[in-house]
Amino acid sequence: MRPPPARAFVSQLIALTLLLLVFSGSLGLGAVWVRQEISGTANRSHALENRIADVERRLDEVNAEVAAALNPHSLLKQNLAMQLGLSSPNEIQVMRVDGSPELRLASKRNREVFNPVGSRAGAEGVNGAPYTFRIITASLR
Amino acid sequence: MSKGFASNRLTLLALGVVACFMGVGVRLVFLQVVDRDLLLKFVDKARRQIVVEHARRGTILDTHGNLLATSRSELTIAVDPWMLVDYLAEEKNEQRRARKRNEQEVRRAQFAALLGLPSAEVDAIFEPKMRPVSMDKDKRDGTPDGLVKDRWVKVKEGVDEPTFARIEQLNLQGVTFERVYRRVYPSDGLAAHVIGYLNKEGKPVTGAEHNFDLYLKGQDGWIESEKDGARRELAQFRSREVPVQDGNDVVLTIDSVIQHIIEDELKTIAAKFSPRFATIIASDPQTGAILGLANYPSFDLNNYSKAPVEAQRNYAITDRIEPGSTFKIVAVGAALNEGLVTPQTSFDCGSPTIEYKGRTIKLPKEDEVYGMLSVSDIVAHSSNRGAAQLAMLMGEDKFYEYARRFGFGQATKFQLGREVLGTLAPPSEWDGLTISRMPMGHSVDATPLQIHMAMSAVANGGALLRPQIIKEIRDSQGRVIRVFGPEKREQVIRPSTAALLAQLLTGVVRVGTAKGFDIPGFEVAGKTGTTQKLIDGKYVNNHHTGSFVGFFPASRPQVVLSVIVDDGHVTDGDRIAWGRKVAAPSFHHIAEQLIQYLEIKPVDSAPRGLLAMQGGVL
Repeated sequence: MRPPPARAFVSQLIALTLLLLVFSGSLGLGAVWVRQEISGTANRSHALENRIADVERRLDEVNAEVAAALNPHSLLKQNLAMQLGLSSPNEIQVMRVDGSPELRLASKRNREVFNPVGSRAGAEGVNGAPYTFRIITASLR
Repeated sequence: MSKGFASNRLTLLALGVVACFMGVGVRLVFLQVVDRDLLLKFVDKARRQIVVEHARRGTILDTHGNLLATSRSELTIAVDPWMLVDYLAEEKNEQRRARKRNEQEVRRAQFAALLGLPSAEVDAIFEPKMRPVSMDKDKRDGTPDGLVKDRWVKVKEGVDEPTFARIEQLNLQGVTFERVYRRVYPSDGLAAHVIGYLNKEGKPVTGAEHNFDLYLKGQDGWIESEKDGARRELAQFRSREVPVQDGNDVVLTIDSVIQHIIEDELKTIAAKFSPRFATIIASDPQTGAILGLANYPSFDLNNYSKAPVEAQRNYAITDRIEPGSTFKIVAVGAALNEGLVTPQTSFDCGSPTIEYKGRTIKLPKEDEVYGMLSVSDIVAHSSNRGAAQLAMLMGEDKFYEYARRFGFGQATKFQLGREVLGTLAPPSEWDGLTISRMPMGHSVDATPLQIHMAMSAVANGGALLRPQIIKEIRDSQGRVIRVFGPEKREQVIRPSTAALLAQLLTGVVRVGTAKGFDIPGFEVAGKTGTTQKLIDGKYVNNHHTGSFVGFFPASRPQVVLSVIVDDGHVTDGDRIAWGRKVAAPSFHHIAEQLIQYLEIKPVDSAPRGLLAMQGGVL
């Protein structure tokens, strides 16, 4: 077999060089694209961090204002300004009960509603005794 | 075209390409190897930056999570007047430039209104000026005349975030800002001595801010990255990053409502008696947790710089007073604990002298004339002579040992620090009269907190606890990372003795020195104390420290409360600031409120009023 002529070799070299250029160019462009994506993501992440910090700052601001509005001194001032007349009960005004006050209140209310002695005078049972009911809301048990 | 020419052309092209590559290679060698150090230095200077991220200081909360101290961002607004000049110079069209100038002037007026400044003042700030600099630094504008453009003129400090957001919306050219965190105290002066404050430099000065700074301050982070021409960070070039660690939150044992109740009462005391100082302490006897601690005079934490130094002192731990008759719990408790007496054991409290170790000792004066008194009467009527005889029964060494065990002369180990120890001299330093005077609370001094904790030991079965002011530490996410439990220092007396002494102390409000300050059904146990003040080495008749220290209910104590009024001025009666006059009414008033707030139930069926008797309507 005869060796290839010199210009064929040069042509191959040029073709290979061009191929190499295209390949390395593609790699370069790919790298640039990746860098661009990284850059975009980093900037978006940075913007989000700033936004979170901003929201946290505003939260702190609001929390401080809520705390200032809810401190006992401010509430008392509001009580006076709005003429609500709210005050702690005196010991003499307090009745302590054993058991659940909700059940007690429910029982009392039921008595008022269903006991005909006061509210439905005249309604009588079979033996002439007034109707009596004892209904306690199950959910309160 | 001949083949030879084509071949030469290809060869030339190949050589050209190779030459280009070689050129690039050579340049790269210069850039990357030969001039590397020089270029790196330049790049570092121009682009690299280290941004420090400041940690957010933790908050201080009360026991229910209410904010007592927090950090709020504030802005310092400044102006670069030259930026507006540059902005207008970019516009070549004369008409459009005039329109832009007008727009900026309108916005500037709005800017002034938002900051609450006169327009003329803001206009003057926006006037471009030069400022002098040293000649070696004058390289910025190309004219070495010792002047550079002044690009930072402060407009206003302490601008809040909402106002700044509105300023940003104005899009006014040249406005710059610097964000700083400032400590704010939403409750103003509430628990001022406990919370403490940060000074202008951000350094913690007193209170929890100072003592728990390690937990609160957090750790600054930093980012090493690069910046662009407009000095914005190029986030993609971050090379190293140490994340910021925000400070932890400190939860105190203080209850804001209780604190408010006692501070309100202190205002009443101040208005009525104008004392030198007054202290009220409330705590949970079972844990030693301080529920409220307040002093008069006090100050507003948000305006600490205007408060005098006296108002900033935490008198509860920094000032010593003679405990007076409140100290009698030591003599009585010790004698009962040693089994030397019972509540019924009687002593002659009418005789002015007594034989002790072969010597005749003059006993202290009584406020009233007594004869034979039982131990329970000695407590109820606060007999000085009775207390002296109880101490003599034990002897100096034993009495001193019990005084130490009750915590006198020792640090309470209060976590806010800076407390003074008080004075309790050992028996070797006593004179002949000390054994008769110390049991009534003379020749000894203590801080209000020491006296409070001694009474607390009686309330909780004889155990002396460390006063707790910190409940727990939470990280910035709200997770509890450390809990502070009760710390027992010493078992002072047996639980049975403590229970007996507690019952004896109920006699003080039923039949004794504070008669009438009982709360029916709630077994108030306490001890009045009145001591003449020692001025220039002499006890004087017109300056007193009055106190009432106690707890309730005696059979299952839930609150220990101390009211101490130093040098109160009483205008009626004998003009002496007795503990029953200046302190017991406040104790009673606070106790009534605490019973409601803490939902303390009565221990027995006390006689109730008409409304209570109608309780069946519920």
